[in-house]
Amino acid sequence: MKVKEYYEEHQRALLGLSSFIFLAAAWELLLTYVVPLNPFFFTKPSLIAIAFKEQALGGNLWHNLAISSRAFIWGFSFSVVIGIPLGAVMGWRRRVEYALDPFLTALYASPLVAIAPLLIVVFGVGLLGKAVLVFLLAVFPFIFNTFAGVKSADPLLINVVRSFGGKERDLYLKVILPSTLPYIAAGTRLAIGRGLVGIIVGEFYAASEGIGFAISQAGDTYRLPEMFVGIIVLSLVAVLLTEVMRKLEITLAPWRAGEEIR
Amino acid sequence: MTTLKSFYNEKEPYILGIGFIALLILIWESTPLWLTLPRGMALFFTTPSKIAGAFYRLLINGEIEKHSYVSAVAFLVGLGLSILVGLPLGLVMGRSRTLDALLDPYVTALNATPRIVWLPLLILWFGIGIWSKIVIVFAGAVFPMLINTYVGVKNVDRVLVNVVRSFGANEWQVMKVVVLPNSLPYIIAGLRLAIGRAILGVVVGEFFGSSKGLGYMIASAATNYKVDVVFVGVAIFMGFSLILTMSVKSLESRLATWRPEATKTF
Repeated sequence: MKVKEYYEEHQRALLGLSSFIFLAAAWELLLTYVVPLNPFFFTKPSLIAIAFKEQALGGNLWHNLAISSRAFIWGFSFSVVIGIPLGAVMGWRRRVEYALDPFLTALYASPLVAIAPLLIVVFGVGLLGKAVLVFLLAVFPFIFNTFAGVKSADPLLINVVRSFGGKERDLYLKVILPSTLPYIAAGTRLAIGRGLVGIIVGEFYAASEGIGFAISQAGDTYRLPEMFVGIIVLSLVAVLLTEVMRKLEITLAPWRAGEEIR
Repeated sequence: MTTLKSFYNEKEPYILGIGFIALLILIWESTPLWLTLPRGMALFFTTPSKIAGAFYRLLINGEIEKHSYVSAVAFLVGLGLSILVGLPLGLVMGRSRTLDALLDPYVTALNATPRIVWLPLLILWFGIGIWSKIVIVFAGAVFPMLINTYVGVKNVDRVLVNVVRSFGANEWQVMKVVVLPNSLPYIIAGLRLAIGRAILGVVVGEFFGSSKGLGYMIASAATNYKVDVVFVGVAIFMGFSLILTMSVKSLESRLATWRPEATKTF
């Protein structure tokens, strides 16, 4: 009876976990006993695990991860520092909104990665080129979500603060900031995804180190287990970052949970 | 004077919006006049008029047509496949709890990671022809489609479902009468996101291991320092995605005038 209760309670997690284990086992067994494995074309979980151990202990995995993170963090920080104030001004000053909105919307809607080869050629294959690319992709969610957040601040609350003699500072700290934070959290989640695209494209295109470089080089030299190690590590980082942001969003604005579309 | 002023007040958003873009283009165009760039920088510099000239040249000699055709095929086939797979799968995942729980880990993990990490593997499997591009476009576009359909199905009014059930409808009829019409706005929003991802897939897919397509045109022009050609390619991609997203957006707002546009999630 206990078992059944436990199952009912954790049904989702248990089913998810079992489907994952089943798939991994089926993959392993199928390629070990049924289909002969062509190592230039496919790989299996046990080989990936061995490659992961090698990479993690003696290989370049951590070094590559550090290189990519550095470019990511630089680009991302700049997009926060520029995107949030710009979005706030756009939300607060009507004329600025009118002037900037069409221009920035057009840029946001267009595939800016298309400019990646030029950026790499101009800024080089090192840190700078990748950071600029990450910035360019990640800045827009910050601008537009901050903008939407400031716009969503309840005018009634603003008037209340004003009527009770609140200063400009109170207005910002007590009304606008709280109503903007959940939007910024949602924007951060979008920006993480776009920033990762920037890092990967930059490193696929031209680089000598970094996780994207490791993946593409392993692919070029038919070392599939190592390629999968790179992909899996990157997926783990991406899932971790997005899930943390999702939790934060729910904490900041529980009433909006599930409302927004991914 | 007053008419001019009232005209300005009426059209202020447009005047400021268009004026700002025009000003930027003007500054860009006139840069060589007031600033002598060092030789190294001049190599990477181009002006809007040169870009327009390059566009005209490439249009006349058929380059643009050739590359656009390849890109358009990859885009359309990949997007079509993603709708064919993502829509039914989203419907089923929204209706069946068990299937939802079984598939959720993969959907979450694959959706959080930019799908372009799979590109080297896809090139290995499908070669450098058009199929690796179609698959990367598909991989990018299928998740917004699937997830939005899923969210739409989840948000369908339980009462309506129960009413139709009480009148003896089977699962297929519930789907047709209640679920599908009610999740349509979400599906259209998903389509808009999917278009963006699909274009991203085309661009990046053609950067690597490719000999045709607009992405290839951009990448090879950048390596040859033909900056104007790079911008021609970028402008074509921009134009395409703007037209597509704007038309889907107008469809969206017509279908769901009651849904506030809270955040822009391209």
